[in-house]
Amino acid sequence: MSEHLLETRDLAKSYDGGRIQALRGVDLEVDAGEFVAIRGPSGSGKSTLLHLLGGLDTPSRGEVLYRGRTLSECADLDAYRSQSVGFVFQAFHLLPTLTALQNVQVPMCEGNRTRRERLERAEALLREVGLEERLQQYPNELSAGERQRVAIARSLANGPEILLADEPTGNLDSESAARILDLLGGLQSERNLTLLVVTHDPEVAERAQRQVHFRNGRICA
Amino acid sequence: MAFANMRRRPFRAALTACGVALGIGAFVALVGFADSFEEQWQQFYRTKGTDICVVRGTFMNKASTDESVGDRLRAIPVVADAAPVSFDLVEFTQDVSAVVQGWVDTSFEFEALTILQGRRFRGDEPAVMLGELLANSIGKKAGDQVEIQGAPLLVVGVFRAQDSFSNDTALLPLHQLQRLSDLGAKVAGFHVRLRPAAPGTTPEDHLRGAQRTIESQLPGLKAMSAGAVARDNHIVNFIRSTAWATSLIALFIAVLGVANTMAMSVFERTREIGVLRALGWRRSRIVRLILLEASTLGLAGGLLGLVAGHLGLWALASIRATAGLPRIYPSLIHFGQGLCIALIISLAAGLLPAWRGARFSPTAALRYE
Repeated sequence: MSEHLLETRDLAKSYDGGRIQALRGVDLEVDAGEFVAIRGPSGSGKSTLLHLLGGLDTPSRGEVLYRGRTLSECADLDAYRSQSVGFVFQAFHLLPTLTALQNVQVPMCEGNRTRRERLERAEALLREVGLEERLQQYPNELSAGERQRVAIARSLANGPEILLADEPTGNLDSESAARILDLLGGLQSERNLTLLVVTHDPEVAERAQRQVHFRNGRICA
Repeated sequence: MAFANMRRRPFRAALTACGVALGIGAFVALVGFADSFEEQWQQFYRTKGTDICVVRGTFMNKASTDESVGDRLRAIPVVADAAPVSFDLVEFTQDVSAVVQGWVDTSFEFEALTILQGRRFRGDEPAVMLGELLANSIGKKAGDQVEIQGAPLLVVGVFRAQDSFSNDTALLPLHQLQRLSDLGAKVAGFHVRLRPAAPGTTPEDHLRGAQRTIESQLPGLKAMSAGAVARDNHIVNFIRSTAWATSLIALFIAVLGVANTMAMSVFERTREIGVLRALGWRRSRIVRLILLEASTLGLAGGLLGLVAGHLGLWALASIRATAGLPRIYPSLIHFGQGLCIALIISLAAGLLPAWRGARFSPTAALRYE
């Protein structure tokens, strides 16, 4: 049996003592280097799946497997989130009191890099996303597109295998959204990243190698 | 990141630091004052060369011991000299009261005084010597007259001692004080200077041996080392415990201030903490971040408090009305104590907010509005 990079088995998540069923038994396999778009209406369980895949939450039933091992068996979920997974959020979630350069260094605080190594890597990543002129700007001094590029650079800080993006273009105008999609696509192919993008946007989904549709907490296509 | 977070709400951070500064300032001022008070008392004996105080019961009783005990004390081989002393609290003016000490004119303790004006008193003459602080307070100099217990006395001299207690007192011939204060032939006690220790005997053993000898030869009297009298008397203990109690109240208020600030800060940054958790930060790192912020606030406030506390005391010591206060000299011990207390109270205040912040679920925190 071939081993998938990420896999879910009968994955379910409920809230409020079972009153809200966000996921109702999801089986999904994602291979290394895949670009998967997860689509569906609001409240269909897309973001919940992303959070469970990223180890931000624990399932009510079923399991998430990373390289064949369940995350619940993973002794160090923090290390999984820090080293194996990168997150990109719709609302960017940059820290407002830190500059772009400092924001990108935040995930590297967990790890063995020296201060100088962190700085050099953050500079290189910001250069890679085209923000070499904006290193010392604070988030409120950046456009929405620039903020999302900082967030993407931050998600790559520890060289993860998996990038989980939750509506990454949801807060952007069409021009910025296109640039972000180009950037994500380029990074995915250059780095052979496994990219899972939750999106409503058909244009985003069309760029993916595979689309997974959700409805009422289940995969429907 | 901790410093950046504090810059987000500079006014709140400054106010919190001021709260800590008040607590630490109060601690430095009050506990420092108590320590300095004890130190001045130590100097009171040390500079005069007094090794042992011999009293009946407590040294606070101004007429506890017969003056005639002095001859028996001086006859003890280990005793080099014994000076009878008594005291009373006297009102010099409506605003100024001071301790008047009764000495004999042959007292060895005169060696520690510098005569600034006039001369020492002689025998039992109706005269008084003023410490320089007291002379300034009541505006008298050598040649003037002062009234003590209704009797006019000539100010024959103004002196300077090496401790601020003595500088704020007056010296009267012992028999004048006994007469004016109706003490009869009683004294408060004797200040004893010992002969040098025999070779091979430690100063501590010499002192203990002398105490035992005096107490065995003069039953009913207590021979206390001057250091112990200064350290353990109930005035110093009262001042010290009052200082600690008052400081603790101020420090408790400072703890509440820091705890409130840190709780608000964590509450406001719920989502940011969720982001940090999502980016792989461990709970322990979140705790460290919040504690670092709390301790930075505490240390900043502590430094401010140390400076403010010392400046306040220096200002008090410079005002004529409070010039008798012992001066507090900034010391590494006070500095270290103040900063340690600031650090401990801020860490204690930050613990609960830090624990709460570290327990945030990343998903719940990210959803937080």
